[in-house]
Amino acid sequence: MKTFDIEGLTISTIAPLIKKKQVSPLDLTKLHLARIKKLNPTLNAYLAMAEEEALAAAKKAEREIRQGKYRGPLHGIPFSIKDNIATKGVTTTAGSKILADWVPDHDATVVERLRSAGAIILGKTNMHEWAKGSNSINPFYGTPLNPWDTTRIPGGSSSGSAVAVAASLCMGSIGTDSAGSVRNPASLCGTVGLKPTFGRISSFGGVAGTGGYTVNHFGILTRSVRDCALVLNQTAGYDPKDPLSSDVPVSNYTKTLGAAVKGMKIGIVKGYFDQCIVSEVRYAFDEALKTLIALGMKTQEIAIPHIDLIPAAQAASTRPEANSDHDYYLRTRPRDYSPGLLYNLIAGLLTPAPVYVTAQRVRRLICQEFDEAFKSVQVILAPTLFSSAPTIDDCNRGYVEADGKKINLTDRAGNFLTRYTIPFNVTGLPDMSVCCGFSSSGLPIGMQVVAPPFREDVVFQVATAYESSTEWHKRNPPCSDHA
Amino acid sequence: MKDAVRKLSDEYGFKLTDKEIAIVARQAEEAALLFRPLFEVDLAGITPLAKVDKKIVKMAPAKKR
Repeated sequence: MKTFDIEGLTISTIAPLIKKKQVSPLDLTKLHLARIKKLNPTLNAYLAMAEEEALAAAKKAEREIRQGKYRGPLHGIPFSIKDNIATKGVTTTAGSKILADWVPDHDATVVERLRSAGAIILGKTNMHEWAKGSNSINPFYGTPLNPWDTTRIPGGSSSGSAVAVAASLCMGSIGTDSAGSVRNPASLCGTVGLKPTFGRISSFGGVAGTGGYTVNHFGILTRSVRDCALVLNQTAGYDPKDPLSSDVPVSNYTKTLGAAVKGMKIGIVKGYFDQCIVSEVRYAFDEALKTLIALGMKTQEIAIPHIDLIPAAQAASTRPEANSDHDYYLRTRPRDYSPGLLYNLIAGLLTPAPVYVTAQRVRRLICQEFDEAFKSVQVILAPTLFSSAPTIDDCNRGYVEADGKKINLTDRAGNFLTRYTIPFNVTGLPDMSVCCGFSSSGLPIGMQVVAPPFREDVVFQVATAYESSTEWHKRNPPCSDHA
Repeated sequence: MKDAVRKLSDEYGFKLTDKEIAIVARQAEEAALLFRPLFEVDLAGITPLAKVDKKIVKMAPAKKR
């Protein structure tokens, strides 16, 4: 067996070695468990460990591989699962006090699919309470910390997943995203984060009330674009248990990795993604565009005439949808929500039905406008957030200071940390955040790569072309400082 | 709006204080202002989005490097 350091290790690097029996899944699992024991007390990425089950699964994987029964590139690979996704026999709290003791008797479909591919589930990751926020300041379980700077938030709501991937406490993670909850923490922690097309990954087993029905997506966090393609290959596809899952055929997503991007057109939306953008983010994004232009891509300005209605359409959709799931607990245990979330849910009860229906009509209109834009471009690129990670203090006081300005983190239109990501929840378009640079204080900056519905292959093609031309994804956070 | 919040508080048993009622009412008022422009759009012939359309956009095949 080879000896190795797991920091920064990718699935696509280690899988061939597992297949050749040069790396033991059991050793790999033990190394991750030891690293979690060392770093989790500081980073607070995991809420619950499944150590015994993980070791048993790793032993089984090792035995199977020794017997020549290799299942594929996820066989023996350690994963984590966001704590609003059901895992049989392991507590699933959704970051809430109300579900503190809930132990599901079933696995979510995505977990089932990972297990059947031979993946090892290490444990459950911390998150924003009920996934209803993006700073992940959690009054019940503590705030997960950004491994690049522990005074800062990791984003959210899939915060623990992003921290775990960035800090090499697992090799991949499954999160959920109803407003940016996969892409936002991926951006702030410097990982890859994919929110596929609506319905591409089954949502069966997601905790009700942790994302609106029509905007919520299961997503993937990894350390490389190739790794993400490997995970989507295994997790995508129709699920009879989820009526909203899609039966559009699943591609082999590794097929377009390495394909040329020369001649492809990038759509740039002016205005919406410029709101309050910090100069360092603007610079990193512009440099990323230059990298893709150097590879032969062209840019074109595109118009989405009703894009400014997206925050309203998003809020009008998620509030009533989430409220329908929270009604029982609002009636029986209202004071077991944090005060801020309780007020938000009560205000949501006052959303009139015509607002909800009108929002769904506006969403169709906006989808048509994106369809029209995709007639002339293959991808749309945008920054993932307006800034790099704010400090926990910034979030508590409600604003960041950058470029000599004070920028509020919320306004009437909602949470500013998710302003750039919600267009792709409202439309369901596939969207990946990849690291496109670092701020002067060493914090990761993310860029979104968006494609037409079910064209994750195009997202992978462009994202991998970018990643192959840059070194950002090779940086690791200073985890030894957190031990 | 405060009356509507108070009514909900009674119906659900939230036992909201006056300060809390004011906070929720302000949030609901801000949401109402946010939602108003949705009704200013010409939506004639536009049906609600129920699920992302099952269509695959055709594009030129990518060339291998």
